[in-house]
Amino acid sequence: MTKRSVLIKQGERSFILKKILSLLTLLVLVTLVLTACSSDKGATTPTNASVNNNEDIVEIEFFHRWPNEPRKSFYDQKIAEFEDQNPNVKINVDSVLNDSYKEKIRVLVSNDGLPDIFSSWSHSFAENLVSSNRVMSLDDIIKDDTDWSSNIMETQFDGFTFDDKTYGVPFTVDGKAFFYNKSIFEENNIQVPKTYDDLIDALDSLQKAGYETPLVEGLTNTWAISHYLGTIFQRIVDPEILAQDYTTSTAKFTDEGYVKGLEIFQELTSYMGEVSTAIDHEAARNMFAAGEVPILYMQFAEVKLVQDIGDVNIGFFNFPSIDGGKGDQTALTGAPEGWMLGKNAPPEAVEFLKFLTSPETAMEFTKVDGQLNAVKGGITEENANPTSLEAYDILLNSSSTAVWFDNAVDINVADIFMRGGQSLATKQVTPAEIIEEVQQAVQKLQ
Amino acid sequence: MILKRIKLVPVLFLLPSLLFLGVFVYIPIVQNFFNSFFDFSVFSQTKEFIGFSYFKELFEDKILMTSFANNIKYAVISVLFQVFFALILATILEDKLFRRIAPTLRVIYFIPVMISISVIALLFSFIYNPQMGLLNSFLDLIGLESLAKPWLGNATTAIYAVIAMSQWQSVGFITMLFIVAIQKIPKDLYEAAEIDGAGRIRKFFNITVPQVKETMFVNVLITVTGAMLVFNEPYILTNGGPGISSMTLSVHMYQLGFIKDNMGYASAVATLIFVVTAIFALIQIKVSGTGKDE
Repeated sequence: MTKRSVLIKQGERSFILKKILSLLTLLVLVTLVLTACSSDKGATTPTNASVNNNEDIVEIEFFHRWPNEPRKSFYDQKIAEFEDQNPNVKINVDSVLNDSYKEKIRVLVSNDGLPDIFSSWSHSFAENLVSSNRVMSLDDIIKDDTDWSSNIMETQFDGFTFDDKTYGVPFTVDGKAFFYNKSIFEENNIQVPKTYDDLIDALDSLQKAGYETPLVEGLTNTWAISHYLGTIFQRIVDPEILAQDYTTSTAKFTDEGYVKGLEIFQELTSYMGEVSTAIDHEAARNMFAAGEVPILYMQFAEVKLVQDIGDVNIGFFNFPSIDGGKGDQTALTGAPEGWMLGKNAPPEAVEFLKFLTSPETAMEFTKVDGQLNAVKGGITEENANPTSLEAYDILLNSSSTAVWFDNAVDINVADIFMRGGQSLATKQVTPAEIIEEVQQAVQKLQ
Repeated sequence: MILKRIKLVPVLFLLPSLLFLGVFVYIPIVQNFFNSFFDFSVFSQTKEFIGFSYFKELFEDKILMTSFANNIKYAVISVLFQVFFALILATILEDKLFRRIAPTLRVIYFIPVMISISVIALLFSFIYNPQMGLLNSFLDLIGLESLAKPWLGNATTAIYAVIAMSQWQSVGFITMLFIVAIQKIPKDLYEAAEIDGAGRIRKFFNITVPQVKETMFVNVLITVTGAMLVFNEPYILTNGGPGISSMTLSVHMYQLGFIKDNMGYASAVATLIFVVTAIFALIQIKVSGTGKDE
């Protein structure tokens, strides 16, 4: 804009007008050049692994979502080990955190810049990536090497299987439960809540005992809201209606359970204090680990993270049963995460995938990171502490599992619920308004 | 023959910049406009023609209305603070009284302009932090703890907290432009005014302001179009939240395209942003009458 005004200022307007014609001709020329370029591009689409002929080095692009410790170092070390074993392989690694990862992998999958090996959540998130037709089907690889693949829990492949084809290898299993501070509960004579009403009673008595925010959550992380809502809806709404509403083509969201669910969420946010919409989950976890907050809804993956920060005596209880709820009242919310391969990934990337999901790597991984792995018998007293073992037990024995809400429904629907959750916490909207918006959105999607 | 060759030379000089402008600006604009008539996703390249329905949808989009209102707030506050306050700041810095320390102050005001916006946004997220943030601690220190808030977590304050950060960052740049303009004003004008007995304030309104009119116009244009396009600040600080309270047009567009996977509608929003900024620019050019030889 500045440039233009300066030009005009110098009184060269007439000059410009005279030249407009020739400029237009040039624009046409530019367009022609560009079309030529783009048709060129189609012919020479390279595979991601660029092979350097001189030294026969295969480069693998590796993309994961853990730029934070201890996982970053763990993978850096595994990369070094793999490169030592395979001198002809060079692994280029890149990583960004959770919400950013979701965005970046979506952009990458939309063109041929997709990495060779990358991490993915299960269910609708994975399905979306697979629908790009740029993710490799792993059926042959799994069948050909049963020595390796039979070590992994078969049940955990479900979330990566679409139209009977498997596209991902699960590596971690996870579940979400309320973590509570055992010492604080004992000091104040509070029983572990079994029903939702018990939970509210417990929160009230903790508030009386001086804990201004007995429960907290980092609501700037919208996924944290989706975890709450997913579990609450699973408890309240009839499973058949839920399945129907979670499928975009048949979704209605007319059940009154959804409004009730949002009301429950709003009631819970009223215990979280004003601060909750300004902090992230990590800050909330730190508050729990420091003993400032007695209850936090967390993933089993976070056990070690809490233990690393503070000396809290951790106990777990599943999201309590809700009176009048039509769903399985003891289901556990959680889903595996795994690895996927890009369509053009070289055979070396397949080897790297097997290396990352081998029993040895899995055992060591749980020891270092604390997160539970998807390898059969992969959690023992050797690599997990009693708290993690207790969590693993809850996970294996849960009556059924419910997947993460933001992975279960269309992202447009999830977004309205998640942003709506923030607005509920700041009291900008009512539950009924959110549901109305959701109903309009699903109509548009169909 | 000779005539033709002479005409070709200026065109050749323009060619490189035209090529770049064409490839990176004009063609994408046309392409984007074209895209807004189609329904398509990032994951698949098949496009379905749907005519003007996305443009109709624009008028029913609640998030878009909130975003637009936020952009307007951004523009109004930016013009008031950046253009007018920066002019006053520039005048003070150019005053005789400040001659000695002016160079130092100029550098201090300009430093934020040179820091990457991502760094600044992270810095301010610490300042605004509700638990250990500088701002709340400062309010606490001076006995105003009742004013302390979770600035970015409160639906009413979030957008203003974002705007405030932008002002802090950009005021130095605009001040610099004004300083250059003030330095170009012939000194004899001020001397004549002094002889006539004009004070500082009189000189400011009767000489400085009319003389920097052109620069002021450019600055208003920069700030208003900048405010309409603002993305980094709200995206990093709040991601449009809590709820949709600090959403701006660009953040909305980005989320439609890359999170909600609705590329066609995102293109329609982009077209809207283009039209709005173009209209603002045209109005300003018309109103200020720049370009007319005086």
